[in-house]
Amino acid sequence: MRAIRSGFLQMLVFMRRDMMLSAACLAPVLAGLGIRFGIPFLEAVLTERFSRSAVLSPYYALIDIFFSMLSPAMFCFISAMVSLEEADEKTAAYLFVTPLGRKGYLAARFCLPAAAAFLVTAALLPVFGLSTRSLADILSLSAGGTLQGVIVALLIVAFSSNKLEGMAVAKLSSLLIFGAAVPFFLRQDAQYIMSPLPSFWIGKAVFEDTLVFMLPAFASSAVWIRFLLRRYLRKI
Amino acid sequence: MIHVNHLSFSYTKQPFISDMTFSVSPGEIFGFLGPSGAGKSTLQKVLTGMLASYQGSAMVNGVECRERTKDFYEDIGVDFEFSALYEKLTARENLRFFASLYEKKPCPIDELLETVGLERDGDKRVSQYSKGMKARLNFVRALLHDPALLCLDEPTNGLDPANSRMMKDMILAQKAKGKTILLTTHNMQDAAELCDRVAFIVGGRICALDSPHNLIMSQGAATVTYTWLENGEHSAACPLHRLSADGQLKRLISENRLQSIHSSEPTLNDIFMDITGRTLI
Repeated sequence: MRAIRSGFLQMLVFMRRDMMLSAACLAPVLAGLGIRFGIPFLEAVLTERFSRSAVLSPYYALIDIFFSMLSPAMFCFISAMVSLEEADEKTAAYLFVTPLGRKGYLAARFCLPAAAAFLVTAALLPVFGLSTRSLADILSLSAGGTLQGVIVALLIVAFSSNKLEGMAVAKLSSLLIFGAAVPFFLRQDAQYIMSPLPSFWIGKAVFEDTLVFMLPAFASSAVWIRFLLRRYLRKI
Repeated sequence: MIHVNHLSFSYTKQPFISDMTFSVSPGEIFGFLGPSGAGKSTLQKVLTGMLASYQGSAMVNGVECRERTKDFYEDIGVDFEFSALYEKLTARENLRFFASLYEKKPCPIDELLETVGLERDGDKRVSQYSKGMKARLNFVRALLHDPALLCLDEPTNGLDPANSRMMKDMILAQKAKGKTILLTTHNMQDAAELCDRVAFIVGGRICALDSPHNLIMSQGAATVTYTWLENGEHSAACPLHRLSADGQLKRLISENRLQSIHSSEPTLNDIFMDITGRTLI
């Protein structure tokens, strides 16, 4: 446990020294402020401009989903960038022959940041969320968002060999979160084309207002994480 | 300290390490010698627990390597061939972090830096270090937790003569403290100078295993080559152990006609080539 704690703290040191990573850490709060105060203001402007009772408000739940994925995406992006740098400098390989080991390294770089992301999301969602949600909803969304963040982090580390490639993969992999929008806009069976994406099931759970759909979200996340983790471990 | 019994390993269907058996005693410097791709680094990876899918047995400090736990690493110090340091951190920060991973009380960082002449550069970022400085820092990092076993992979590779000498002296100093050292190298001079015993590895197999002295002696003694003038310069050679039977040499000595005379022992490199039919490149 001592080694895992040290490994995690080392990542925080890295984060503090890198402006981009520090900024990524602040992004959820800044985005939360923008969503909480900007979106209702925009809604008021748009409804008045187009003389309609609602323009954006039917999609407040969708915006909440995206927000629930933001903190984990940012936290896990930071982990992925640090891991890529460690792979590049070969320090990751060295850490495997210390008491930290492979499992400890994965815990320090992915599990602990994911746990922190879960807690931060669960704390920020009631504050910055646009729709009223139960505690079970908040915890489920936070868990779903966290798993989505872990998938993004593993995609980055499994498919890129340096930070530059990592940035490109991060942009591409962030498209995965748009699976959540599909149930809101595509009502026919065709929407199930996106069913391999965990974000689709999270969107489905919120849109249908039933947490049962979180089960396939967790299951598909597990499949993605297993596949990506195996690829990552083969690589390092 | 180390007991390897019928060890085999493969990355693919083809065997990469085949049926290796050897032991390393406490306090010994044991060298793995062989050309690139011979299996030396793979063998070190097995012994440091990085590769677990091997056949046979590889016991280090009484622990089967594939069944290692995190405690396994409390008594092993590893020095990779390449620099594996946080370039953005200073030497002190690097050592402080790596020391924090061990349960053992770490050796004082300032003392360690002093032993490798880096005490004045301890607060410099590693990215500003030369290759030799990084190699020295890598080495002392492996000593942070005072391990009983040191695994060194090509420790002098790419170093200038001064840094190479410093590195070899540091290795010998660790041996004097009673540490067991596994040394992987393709530098025969280093091996002959440092190792108590060496194993020649080619194609994933141990071709020979003995002390450098015994290996050299086993393949024939030194020869004496001499030259003299007699209608131009001539030269002849004679095995050292048959010197008294060389009438021509005796005659030339008695007539004081020798132009030059020198003996030449075979090097470990010559022995390696004799035994394996390979060079070390």
